[in-house]
Amino acid sequence: MVEVNNLNVKFGEKHVVNDVSFTVNKGEIIGLFGISGAGKTTIVRVLTCQIEKKHWTGNVMVTGLSPEKKSNHSKILSNIGYVPQLELLNLYFELNPMVNVEVFTSTYGMNKNKAKETAEKLFKILDIPRDTWKKRVEKMSGGEKKRLSMAIGLIHNPDVLFLDEPTTGVDASKRYDILSYLKKLNQKFNTTMFIITHDLEAALICDKVAILKDGRLLEFDTSQNLISSLPSEGLIARFTIEDLNEKLIAFIEKFPFIRRIIRVGNEAIEVLMENFEENLQKLIEYMVDNNIVITSMSKDIATFRRYFQIRIQKEEEKESSLKEVKVIRK
Amino acid sequence: MAKLKKKPLTLNFKKFKDKISKIKPNFETLKNKISKPKPNFKKYIKNISNLKINALRILKQVIKEFRLLWTDKFNLLLAIVIPPLIIVMLGFTMTDAPSETQSIPCMLISYDSNTFINQNNFTESKLDNYTMPYVEAVNKSSMLELVRFYNATEEIYAMEAARNALISGEIKVILSLPVDFTELLEWGLPGLIDCVLDASNIQYIQQSLNSVYDSIKIFVNDNNLTPQFQLQGFEEFTIPEGYSNNFNSSIVMALSFMVFGIALVLSILVIVQEKPIARLLLTPVKRSEILLSKYITYTLVLVLQVALLVISGLSMGLYIAGTLPDLFFALFMIGFSGLTMGFFISSQSKTKTQANQLFLAVFLVAVLLSGIFIPIENMPSYLQVIAYILPLSHGDPLLRGIIQKGQIILGLHFIWLLVISIVLVIISFVIFKRRKYEV
Repeated sequence: MVEVNNLNVKFGEKHVVNDVSFTVNKGEIIGLFGISGAGKTTIVRVLTCQIEKKHWTGNVMVTGLSPEKKSNHSKILSNIGYVPQLELLNLYFELNPMVNVEVFTSTYGMNKNKAKETAEKLFKILDIPRDTWKKRVEKMSGGEKKRLSMAIGLIHNPDVLFLDEPTTGVDASKRYDILSYLKKLNQKFNTTMFIITHDLEAALICDKVAILKDGRLLEFDTSQNLISSLPSEGLIARFTIEDLNEKLIAFIEKFPFIRRIIRVGNEAIEVLMENFEENLQKLIEYMVDNNIVITSMSKDIATFRRYFQIRIQKEEEKESSLKEVKVIRK
Repeated sequence: MAKLKKKPLTLNFKKFKDKISKIKPNFETLKNKISKPKPNFKKYIKNISNLKINALRILKQVIKEFRLLWTDKFNLLLAIVIPPLIIVMLGFTMTDAPSETQSIPCMLISYDSNTFINQNNFTESKLDNYTMPYVEAVNKSSMLELVRFYNATEEIYAMEAARNALISGEIKVILSLPVDFTELLEWGLPGLIDCVLDASNIQYIQQSLNSVYDSIKIFVNDNNLTPQFQLQGFEEFTIPEGYSNNFNSSIVMALSFMVFGIALVLSILVIVQEKPIARLLLTPVKRSEILLSKYITYTLVLVLQVALLVISGLSMGLYIAGTLPDLFFALFMIGFSGLTMGFFISSQSKTKTQANQLFLAVFLVAVLLSGIFIPIENMPSYLQVIAYILPLSHGDPLLRGIIQKGQIILGLHFIWLLVISIVLVIISFVIFKRRKYEV
């Protein structure tokens, strides 16, 4: 459905996307994760024909068509849907939802009755109350606007739907609702979805996740596979320690089987180590013998959030050590 | 010295022959080229259906624009209701219909009773037979209100008193009958009346002169005199009887300002404030289609606005020396130039504030350099260049020509307006095509 091979995007001297490759199959949900400036939006802009060819190189195919050719743009744009981060960019607030649907479906040459039928179906799936269908969008709640925006993105039954930060600006309780609606839509219409997000919880509904940093694709796999790639398949020991400080952490880090320690708040750490089950007891003994007061302890499997944190941290360490080597060589 | 050896010039005919022989015409390809291409009906049908889809898409965009317009009732009110309303207001407030309240207050001073010495034979006379008949004529005229009559023979400070009344605003006109007023009429010569007008308000000058003329008309009729009193300069382009002078003289300026200004106001925010354009561009709709639909919508609104303006103008007594279609198209052209300028501002403004500021600057400059307040010929040459580029400088004379002089629309001013509009349309399309949209 979407193929990206050796994609490089440059704006002047600035290398925004660096040799990115991945393939997405029909019906998959892909999460594009990364801190700001990682290149997530730029990749999507290439896929949605928003960036001129002179700025990028590589082989890109969207629904079997290359955005390289201008003549393909109209067809690609017919095959894709887009849900921007801000509803303001996607909806005419002065018009009602049904008229908004009409405005957008007319651009795809859709029949009015068919558009209405599809809209009603989508509105029902997304729980957009019937009494708001004929009211101005500006009178709808934030969540309703968000869902309406998603409905507009899907109104022409696109093969691929791009969603930019779908959970941003939504309160915590509604975030899961939005994600579950997306999953529901994906299952119902088998639409391939690209979710650009900072919200790491979105990985829950993603078939594959892409982690980007400074324009480079660090990982592209299922979140389970990524977590399993951690030492001891992502098993984590969580300790709450009295008077926790950097010195104590550095001391614990000296325990030979430890792979990584992550500080969680003021009093807790999470520990990843080799041969988790065998070495956990030894680690506890090591800490007790050295007068470290453990107030509580639990073990769990790492979440995607933790994996992301570790992966980015690892990358930063790698970059700083590379810089150090360069400085020494100089 | 070494001699330079000249190389003999030889032609290698064999080489040429080889080359020529190589260029054998490929009759097969030529035949293929010449033979008529088979009509590709499928392609034609596809093209026609594509055209139909594009037209439908533009139509839907036009409908969307109308819907958006409808949601902004104030803007619509501004475009459609306000201009004819202003015309109606002008019509009611600027009539010349004689009435008690509209009569011009005046003072009449007569020097007619003073001794007149004939310069030809040095004879003296004190004739004043026509003084009181003229006073009666002034009293009869509904357009004049005689505040006071002075006989200067008895009241030597009459003129000073009258001047004070003029300065204070108590009266608008001082009428003065000279010493030889009766004598000249008796001898069958043209009578003479001195007239001092309050020129502080330009609007009163015409009205005051008309009022004086009215009193003279009554005086001539009542006394069986031959009409020897004439007010020069009112023969050409006068507004016929039954039409309001004030209304008709003000309406020309008001019409061009209104049509241009309102079209400009309507269109300056159209592009800059429509945020979902960025998202629309991620559908198969083309940029040119979006802008074209906006032009179509606002042009239709302009047609309606101009039609209402003309209807309200005519119903309030607008006198058109030219033809009605010429007036309609002239107004449309002025409005369209405002529309194109508005679209130009909107397409190149990044924010609403920027568009509003640009609107103010453009409108002020267009009005100030329109030639209505200061004749363009009196401006410095560099300002004249700017003035002639701006639409209002052509709109005002175009309208005046049609309304007051009965000129036809086709002329330099119309062509200029057309050229300015076409150039602005092209520029707005180019800018809109290059405008950066990101979602």
